Amino acid sequence: MTADISVRNLVKHYLVPVREGGLRASIKGVFKRRHRRVRAVDGISFEVARGEIVGFLGPNGAGKTTALKVLSGLLYPTDGEVAVLGHTPWQRKRDFLSRMTLIMGQRQQLFWDLPGIDTFLVNKAVFGLDEPTYEASFNLLSEMLELGDLLYKPVRQLSLGERMKSELAAGLLHSPSVLFLDEPTLGLDVTMQQRIRQFIKDYNAATGATILLTSHYMADVKALAERVIVIDQGLVLYDGLLQGLVESYAPHKTITLQFEQPVEIKDLERYGEVERIDELQFRIKTAKDAAPGATARLLADLPVADLSVEDPALEDVIDQVFRTAAE
Amino acid sequence: MRLARIAWAFLRSAVQHELAYRADFFGNVVRSLLGTGTAFGGLMVVFSHTESLGDWNFPQMLGLLGVFYVVQGVMAVFMSPSLNKTVEEVREGTFDYILVKPVPSQFIASTRRFVLWHVTDVALGVAIIVIAAGRLEDKVTLMDVLVFLAMIFTALSIVYAMWLSLTTLVFWWVRMENVTMIFNVFYETGRYPVEIFPFWLRQALTFIFPVAFITTVPARAITGREASWLTWIAPIVAIVVVLAASKFWRIGLSRYSSASS
Repeated sequence: MTADISVRNLVKHYLVPVREGGLRASIKGVFKRRHRRVRAVDGISFEVARGEIVGFLGPNGAGKTTALKVLSGLLYPTDGEVAVLGHTPWQRKRDFLSRMTLIMGQRQQLFWDLPGIDTFLVNKAVFGLDEPTYEASFNLLSEMLELGDLLYKPVRQLSLGERMKSELAAGLLHSPSVLFLDEPTLGLDVTMQQRIRQFIKDYNAATGATILLTSHYMADVKALAERVIVIDQGLVLYDGLLQGLVESYAPHKTITLQFEQPVEIKDLERYGEVERIDELQFRIKTAKDAAPGATARLLADLPVADLSVEDPALEDVIDQVFRTAAE
Repeated sequence: MRLARIAWAFLRSAVQHELAYRADFFGNVVRSLLGTGTAFGGLMVVFSHTESLGDWNFPQMLGLLGVFYVVQGVMAVFMSPSLNKTVEEVREGTFDYILVKPVPSQFIASTRRFVLWHVTDVALGVAIIVIAAGRLEDKVTLMDVLVFLAMIFTALSIVYAMWLSLTTLVFWWVRMENVTMIFNVFYETGRYPVEIFPFWLRQALTFIFPVAFITTVPARAITGREASWLTWIAPIVAIVVVLAASKFWRIGLSRYSSASS
């Protein structure tokens, strides 16, 4: 396997002006600015193999977008080495820029007052696509995203979801091999999120493109990425399979129980932490190794009507990751 | 070739954009006519009292006015729209999409917007120049026309360099409206030949904010006035300022890439 993306000790610090509130401070700020150093990315390393989909997870301000911007050549790093498709991104070589794309959910490239097709034609010229290549790419995207006549309406008349579909198509016309997607489902309703996710998955399967995406919707990550990189405060907290994240950070399972008749809560407490949902329903958080034994005994000893064993929600796991890091 | 195709694509989308707002066209024609008409009338009034202004006679002043409108028109067709759009995009963050395109960013930033209706300013300017040339004492020779075209090209290059430099400031200062306003105030001085200004202002308008090269020098060429040494150094000045502006743009970009997040 070749690595399409390789990052070694990437550091990105920048200065932001600081100013206390109040008129006096404002006036002082005009003449003399004080700056604060922000460590957006503070030494991260990872590799992404060709054709992989990797989810970049982290709370707001964790450094996800900054890292993505360095990888796509928008920002110079403070330190470290990065290679994407064999290029150093910030040199912005034509070959590199022609083979990658950056799509940001909260920023659009489509001309606002014109139909989407006009942006497509400009991009066709910008990427120097000949007619057959453009046709083929256009048809593929149009079909996969069910664009229909969306591209012929002024962009400002489209719904958020329709706009995002057009944005994706505009960013993928040149058939890039590496995709950087920053919050591609931001603000969309659940159905549209689902559609966009399915598209990303299908696109990856159809073209073998390498995809690095950030999102703070866990559902995106769960549906798309087998591998996740969790970052917080500019550091990588976890890099590995999504499943492994759950196992290493959530060494417990949740047993949900429905009883036929009321039970004593102390009969449950020996298995773990008990949460009462209503009179007959309980949830027990138990150590992962103890879960099979506990299940067997619960079934044998108590009037159980229904029982299920689950991994904790991904949100809780991630929360656990950040809390562990903070400690 | 590839760049020409990109500019063509931008131009086509601009045409489509503006066809959607036809009312602007007529509004602009009226505005242009009123603007040039007022300027024309103003000159008539002045010349009803005097034979010359800083030894420029009426047809020569008219030629200068024509040059002023041609340059202003070209600026309004693509320089100020493209570069203002760029300023707006840097502020909103969508400028990132320009930087990830496999085309020099300066090229896209300078050609992405056309406001075609301002072609009317250019057409009116040309008409005024033609009228002025017809009223001159000496016939305009082919050589005059060629030198004039070269000087217009030089003037446009200098104006472009100034716009690009002003735009580049956005990488340091996010708010730029005032800068554009100051530019327009200085540009207004281009309605008059630099000779009429006092020495210090004349120097400033030649070497600091080079309005002299933008209107006075081309107007000299087409109105049969003696070419001054400024005519000969104009192309060199143009090359130097365009290269300097381009370098400044790259410095601004590297600041953008290292200081933002």
